[in-house]
Amino acid sequence: MTREEVERVAHLARLRLSQEEAAAMASQLESILGYVELLDTLDTSQVEPTSHVIPLATPMREDRPEASYPPETAVANAPARDGSAFAVPKVLEGEDEG
Amino acid sequence: MSSDAHPHYEAVIGLEVHVHLRTRAKLFCSCAVSYGDGPNHHTCPVCLALPGALPVLNGAAVEHAIRTGLATHCEVHSRSIFARKNYFYPDLPKGYQISQYEKPLATGGWIEIEVDGQEARRIGITRIHMEEDAGKSIHDGAATETHVDLNRTSVPLIEVVSEPEIRSPEEAGAYLRSLRAILRYIESSDADLEKGQFRCDANVSLRPQGSTEFGTRTEIKNVNSFRFVEDAIRAEIDRQAAILDDGGAISQATLGYDAEADRLFVMRLKENADDYRYFPDPDLIPLVVDEERIEEIRATLPELPDQKRLRFESEYGLSTQEARLLSASRALAEFFEAAARAHGTAKSVANWMLRDLLAALREREIEIEEAAIAPEALARLIEMVDRGRVTAKSARDLVAELTEQGGDPEALVRERGLEAVSDVGLLESVADAVIGANPDVARAYAQGDKKVVNFLMGQVMKKTQGKADPGRVREILARKLEE
Amino acid sequence: MTEPLGTLAELRRALDAGAVSSAELVDRSLARAEAVEPRLHALLATREERARAEAAEADERRARGGVRSPLDGIPIALKDNLAQAGEKVGCASKILQGYESPFDATAVARLREAGAVVVARTNMDEFAMGSSTENSAYGTSRNPWNPERSPGGSSGGSAVAVAAGIVPVALGSDTGGSIRQPAAFTGVVGMKPTYGRVSRFGLVAFASSLDQIGPFAHTAADCASVLDVISGHDPRDSTSLPEPATRCLAALSGDLSGLVIGLPSEYYASEGVDPEVLARVSEAVAELEAGGARTREVSLPHTQFAVATYYLIATAEASSNLARFDGVRYGRRAAGVRGLTEMYERSRSEGFGAEVKRRILLGTFVLSAGYYDAYYRKAQQVRTLLRRDFDEALSGCDVLITPTTPETAFRIGEKASDPLTMYLSDIFTVSANLAGLPGLSIPCGFANQMPVGLQVLGRPLEDATPLRVADAFQRRTDFHLQRPPDPR
Repeated sequence: MTREEVERVAHLARLRLSQEEAAAMASQLESILGYVELLDTLDTSQVEPTSHVIPLATPMREDRPEASYPPETAVANAPARDGSAFAVPKVLEGEDEG
Repeated sequence: MSSDAHPHYEAVIGLEVHVHLRTRAKLFCSCAVSYGDGPNHHTCPVCLALPGALPVLNGAAVEHAIRTGLATHCEVHSRSIFARKNYFYPDLPKGYQISQYEKPLATGGWIEIEVDGQEARRIGITRIHMEEDAGKSIHDGAATETHVDLNRTSVPLIEVVSEPEIRSPEEAGAYLRSLRAILRYIESSDADLEKGQFRCDANVSLRPQGSTEFGTRTEIKNVNSFRFVEDAIRAEIDRQAAILDDGGAISQATLGYDAEADRLFVMRLKENADDYRYFPDPDLIPLVVDEERIEEIRATLPELPDQKRLRFESEYGLSTQEARLLSASRALAEFFEAAARAHGTAKSVANWMLRDLLAALREREIEIEEAAIAPEALARLIEMVDRGRVTAKSARDLVAELTEQGGDPEALVRERGLEAVSDVGLLESVADAVIGANPDVARAYAQGDKKVVNFLMGQVMKKTQGKADPGRVREILARKLEE
Repeated sequence: MTEPLGTLAELRRALDAGAVSSAELVDRSLARAEAVEPRLHALLATREERARAEAAEADERRARGGVRSPLDGIPIALKDNLAQAGEKVGCASKILQGYESPFDATAVARLREAGAVVVARTNMDEFAMGSSTENSAYGTSRNPWNPERSPGGSSGGSAVAVAAGIVPVALGSDTGGSIRQPAAFTGVVGMKPTYGRVSRFGLVAFASSLDQIGPFAHTAADCASVLDVISGHDPRDSTSLPEPATRCLAALSGDLSGLVIGLPSEYYASEGVDPEVLARVSEAVAELEAGGARTREVSLPHTQFAVATYYLIATAEASSNLARFDGVRYGRRAAGVRGLTEMYERSRSEGFGAEVKRRILLGTFVLSAGYYDAYYRKAQQVRTLLRRDFDEALSGCDVLITPTTPETAFRIGEKASDPLTMYLSDIFTVSANLAGLPGLSIPCGFANQMPVGLQVLGRPLEDATPLRVADAFQRRTDFHLQRPPDPR
């Protein structure tokens, strides 16, 4: 795993790593990935992936609206707000959000 | 088929439409679906993505989605999987959208479209999948901030993806109109464009006539009317054709459309495909709906627009065009049939609706559901004309009035004193008076100029305030002039 | 120094006999905390005022004969990843500093309904990622048997709170062993129920398909009492079993006759397992046989793949679950940011610790384009093979018994430098999460002067059986009566 690869993944996860951090992560991740290569020794071509351990019928709820939070509660923990809306910095020129 | 302006290229257009399903509560929580309230008035731990919150699926949304799949001739799959689409945006509180990816709810359907001058043809639907809507980021106001409102988060959506089989802006418009009509017919969505309940993205590319390879495509987003979608697609085809004619290459991009300037602008260049890291959502069990249940749901579908149109042609002897117009909306079709039943002659009712009622609705910019006129009232009015109790002209004016105010045509005719003058004695004496007052005209008639009877008719109509039956008047005048 | 509080059963008897009041229990709990905390650091915060008020209400209820459950008026502690309405919940992370939950986790609400009095939030590895509690943003907790040693993790604080006698029972969460391993290290009982048995609504998610909430206590019976209260279908959790609450306490008959115990050979033949640990486990098994159980050797052939499978699935799910910590709606937002991307990157990078970042990166990578099939999908396939191993092994046995951990509690700092070494210590516990099985750890002796844990795994949905085995063991032995010395 190269440092560039770590930086690509870090950006996907919106993490910012210093050069040293990125290098350290790269080597740790590399050793972990090296370890998980163990799984390649298994032939799983005929095996279904498990995405849910318990066989359950799909739970569905009735289409009945229930009380929502008052707007003050919704934004009570907000680091920044504008009235009852959350406030965030705008996307800058050149950023690729959105 | 080729675009008229660029006959050497074939336009390849695919449409992705996001539709709000008609539920009372959200898709994964029980907050109400509501439009127009203040920011964050309809939120809870789940749609706020508070730590520890979990999604629970709304069964009514599943039903609406299945009905839509059935109404568009898709194969509805008994087993489909909710997947997480991971990306960061302020109006996406979980940092992922719950959608469907590898195993969507429905695939392989079609919609029939008709464009003037072409035969009807089918546009394929690749897939319909369920997903939750995101919130709204409001960029206006403060220059440095964006404000985020999560009322719309987790409103139930389906995404309807067409095959890239659309070949012109007109076909795109026809497809959107057909899809919208179907959704409103089966009541799985109100599809109100102004409320953002029906949002269309268009993928556009060109290729040389005869080629089967796909060219590079661009995506046009955020166009909020059918007309503008057609205009935007047209503008994009022109833009791409110009580049290709010049020997250039198309860059992948997401574009917006400025309707006022009729101009496209780049929202985002897409050098790299987004990596959404889809995986099955471990908080949700795979969606399983057995075949029996799907058939139960199929039985709740009303007659669909295409079926209704064919039946109107065969049952009422309407032309294809007439049938199409009268089945454009379910409410209009139901009005027509109720009026036809009350009156007895469907063709007659059809004529009156197509000529007068639709005009009255258009003038007032309303739909039939908002008109005050009852089908029985229209039937009654037509009957009164049939029996000569009111002239056709008076009746036509009344249609407009009934559309606006409602009421009983009998009463209105009486109130306004619009009863046709059919008293023969009265008509005879008026005719005598008119002929007497215009001896030279009568002489001209006697000398062979039969057309002058129209002038005399005009005079009689004036004297009777237009309430005389024209046919009767002509007959009386002719007889008297012959004498 | 204040005495450690007794077991849940003892406190219940004392309350019912009028020998002590709930208010006094809360006082003693807080006093005990005050005494041991400077050395052990099991807790992140106490809620004195509210606890005292709730205790007073419980006393009042008891006075008019309205006791709601065995837990009514009993002081308890909750891991810092369980939402409590009107309380801070932080997952021992800086990124959630200041966040106050407006709602209760279902398990918490049920405990409150039952009359339990929450006195404290306990320390943990940040976002439950770790096996030592050293990844807490607020400093590690320490093992009361030897404070230079780790209490294990991620629910280290809850384990210590019980082991050191601050509370008789506590809740933790277990994703890859985070209840069972600290229970083993600190000499208490810790249980992870069948997946879906206890609602995850209000548990801050780490790995959604693996997480379960579970109890710590001194005895299996006390664990059963807690499980009976917190379990049962919850319509707010789509992965919740459609079963009602368990009745495990009533099933503790003490009877071992006819019980078949499977011993998976791979766990006993493992290199790197302390022979003293194996010896205690063998002795424990012999004790169970003496009580009427039979043993048989079984095989779980894919054991060696469990840790790799676990880390791929858990980190992938975690990378997605932790995306909501973005500085937009709650928690910490970096100061002085100029644009949206900077806000995201700095809030998350400053707020998350190194282990959390490492797992987010790994998880993001295994889900990313081009790698999904080779890593994530592959791991889910191996998971199927692991489940089949258990289905097979448990078709002929009632329970499986193994050591909970390959070794006793390691020294604090010993494994910090190499994450992979830390991951490998989960070898015996992760499989139960991957297969969704119920499992618990009970003390079965000492090695190197540190507690040794015996792991009992049951069939899916048969939560009572491991508890019954553990309870029967505790009727025949006295390891569960041992208490660590008071910290110096």
